[in-house]
Amino acid sequence: MKQLDCEDVKRNVHEFLHSELHESELSAITSHIANCDSCEEHYDIEIVFNQVIQRSCDEAPAEELAERVMKRLREIQDHD
Amino acid sequence: MDLDKQDKLKSFEQQALPLMPQLYGAALRWTRNPSDAEDLVQETFAKAFMAWEKFQQGTNLKAWLFRIMTNTHINLYNKRSKDQAKTALDDLEDWQIGQGESVTSTAVRSAESVALDNLPASVIREAMNEIPDEFRMVVYYAIVEGLPYAEIAEVMDTPVGTVMSRLHRGKKLLRNLLHDYAIQEGYGQREETEP
Repeated sequence: MKQLDCEDVKRNVHEFLHSELHESELSAITSHIANCDSCEEHYDIEIVFNQVIQRSCDEAPAEELAERVMKRLREIQDHD
Repeated sequence: MDLDKQDKLKSFEQQALPLMPQLYGAALRWTRNPSDAEDLVQETFAKAFMAWEKFQQGTNLKAWLFRIMTNTHINLYNKRSKDQAKTALDDLEDWQIGQGESVTSTAVRSAESVALDNLPASVIREAMNEIPDEFRMVVYYAIVEGLPYAEIAEVMDTPVGTVMSRLHRGKKLLRNLLHDYAIQEGYGQREETEP
């Protein structure tokens, strides 16, 4: 298996976290991280960052919106 | 009114309408304010309903709706045509976006992680609003919606490579904005002033 250096590992952080890598790449990165504090930190901060973004984007639509949309759809249906 | 029409509305209502929260979330990222987001959601559903016969059952309905939303937003706001949507930022080299990550020390990064975690949601949302639309949407679809790159590429009508680089750059831009904010507001200051 190809030996990865820290730069390779860090560059792949998003693809790793979004499951866009092949099995062999995943396991190469996982074993590198297990022995590299610097890369582990790098991955940890991206994970925290992703969670922070997820948390901040959880706004729910107003209840009236569903009614507005249904009204619009019925109008379209009537003109069909 | 004939039965077919009733069935059409019913199947649309059952399948598409439950995705309203996800559509609203994406619409808020496109428009950056609740009232325009509601209009965009309504228009997207209206267009999707009119095209309902064309939706292939069994394929990803959410991605189909997001794709319609992209087009609806571009039409509604008379945005630049899609081939001009490539922003100047796409042409920058990585180093020009700033902060070579690999040179940052481990201690500073831990502090940054704590600082990020403590930032209010409103600050994160404002920072999201500051980065270009195409970058913000890719970050949103990848991180909040968890869409695979290939689906984001379809939703945004760009190559997968562009999705990847916009995700990387979008997150880097965001981190730079939030880093500046955290320093300004004194989040994680203790760690920053270490010798």
